[in-house]
Amino acid sequence: MNKLQIDIGSTYFKTNANGELNQYFRNFDISIYDDLQNKCSQLLSNYTKDEVSICSSANGGLSTLIIGVTTLFSLKYATNIAFNSGINIIDTILYSKIEEANTPTDVIDVVIVVGGIDGIKSKFDEKLINYLKDVNYQNIVYVGNKENRDFLNKNIDDLVILQNIIGDKLQVVEDELKEYLTNLYQADITGKEDIKKLYEITSNQIYSTPYIVNNALPKLKTLFDVADPFLVIDVGGATTDIHYSTDLVENKNIMTSSGYDRLVFKKLGVFKSRESLVFGAKSNEFVYELLDYLGVNEHILDEHSDEATVVLMQLAIFLVLYQVSKNHNDYVTLKLEILNSIVLTGGISKVLSDGDIDKIIKFFYKKILNYIEIPNIITDRNYEIWTLGIEEIYNAE
Amino acid sequence: MRVVTGVVGNDIHVVANRLIEISLKERGFEVFNLGVNTYLEEFIDAVIETDADLLLISSLNGEAEGWSRDLLFLKSRYDLDGVIFAIGGNLSVGEATQEELVPKYKAYGFDLVFHQVDLNEGLDSIEEALKANQKVEA
Ligand code: B12
Repeated sequence: MNKLQIDIGSTYFKTNANGELNQYFRNFDISIYDDLQNKCSQLLSNYTKDEVSICSSANGGLSTLIIGVTTLFSLKYATNIAFNSGINIIDTILYSKIEEANTPTDVIDVVIVVGGIDGIKSKFDEKLINYLKDVNYQNIVYVGNKENRDFLNKNIDDLVILQNIIGDKLQVVEDELKEYLTNLYQADITGKEDIKKLYEITSNQIYSTPYIVNNALPKLKTLFDVADPFLVIDVGGATTDIHYSTDLVENKNIMTSSGYDRLVFKKLGVFKSRESLVFGAKSNEFVYELLDYLGVNEHILDEHSDEATVVLMQLAIFLVLYQVSKNHNDYVTLKLEILNSIVLTGGISKVLSDGDIDKIIKFFYKKILNYIEIPNIITDRNYEIWTLGIEEIYNAE
Repeated sequence: MRVVTGVVGNDIHVVANRLIEISLKERGFEVFNLGVNTYLEEFIDAVIETDADLLLISSLNGEAEGWSRDLLFLKSRYDLDGVIFAIGGNLSVGEATQEELVPKYKAYGFDLVFHQVDLNEGLDSIEEALKANQKVEA
């Protein structure tokens, strides 16, 4: 069948026309639709609306504020579910500190309130209601214990109440919240004027890119020689996404149904987020040793050259691995020492050579983990993961 | 009664943990077992999420001596009044007696301390303490 797939990213868009790939930098002065028409009108004219499928991560994602009663259960579970639903921007507030918490200045797309297993006393009271009075939000969802539902429902307008995400064995229960957030994200993408217009070229539903990638993971073995547990690193222009086998996580309570989790580094990208990437790199204690090892000096970070882009992408890989390693206490710690495969995808796969990638991963394993052996590295040079993800979704429909 | 239990730190001795879960269930507790290899912060957070009446920590290789130093700080972040904090197993890395260890662990913030004390004996005293606690609260 004749097929055209289009992925709209924050920095560039790519097309896959029956297996032939192309990539274009976006022109931010005009709409996505006009940009596509200018650059690919010939291509577009060869396909009917039902032959075109589109996914996008260009809307920047939903902004989320999570209010929970503990860091390691309610906040962690909700954050995990939000990332897996394709959401990038997440702020959290610990309920015991809510009276000292700042009120967000921006509009929040969705507030998530969570805490407590079912069968115990309520966790939220007037303090929550008072705090919310000053928050400007579009949606609010409660996924905490049953006992609190009536009180919150009475006091918060348009509250959506879903299944408690903390099960009675303290395990995560993701289904209802994940579905809710995925739909909200979906509605957000298709509600944006810029994206809405794209329905003039496709009659298929437009999906979010992270959703597409997550769908491809269980079948990744059909594409590449990967072995579980694996890690997919997608270094983009604005953010870097990772997707990983849940076997890599220390926390035994979070078991997601697909077996894979997603995490976003929102300030790590080589174009739009270049400045914060450079800042992050400069504040890392290993950076000078790393630059030395790569045979460059720190001035390269301020240059705009092809060589600088290569180094920045290498730094991005290093920083991502560093931030999920035991050396860095963050939202998740992955057992990188048992990792079998690393798959690289996104813009990075078009720029870095096998040698460039090998070099940086060897440095990380030797320097940070003290390992000589490194995982098997696969580079998705033809965006096959994305193509597989799209096919998985449309086949399922 | 709800109880959160597990083995603190990088300790992987699992046999006692299984036995404790079984004994607690037999005594009618609702048990949230976080298993081996559990950090103090996770115990505290689990107590909050479950409104547990009791936190029962084991240490078999003695690591608790190091980890427990953070307990008062972690407790200060939440309202944990009324929760009984108990710890037992081998509570020292080297040789030490119950007489030396009890004041030390109480200063860390534990209410009940059982160094090399028989499990059933320990659980009996814990149940008594819980009963006394209920009376105070009532
Ligand atoms: C089996 C074993 C191992 C196995 C564990 C396998 C596993 N996954 O469970 C292996 C080989 C892996 C191991 C490793 C180590 N072990 Co080891 N191990 C033992 C051994 C022989 C038996 C433990 C056991 O299962 N006993 C059976 C259970 C039922 O009894 P229990 O553990 O004593 O628990 C009872 C009481 O402690 C009490 N209790 C426990 N918690 C609580 C809580 C409360 C509130 C109460 C009231 C009572 C209570 O009730 C329990 C049930 O009756 C003991 C020695 C011994 N004979 O006890 C050493 C022992 C526990 N190990 C010890 C050590 C030092 C280690 C290592 C550090 C050795 C090393 N240098 O590598 C490592 C540490 C690994 C780690 N990260 O934790 C020391 C601890 C020293 C100390 N601080 O007192 C011991 C005591 C041996 C010794 N005499 O030196 N070990």
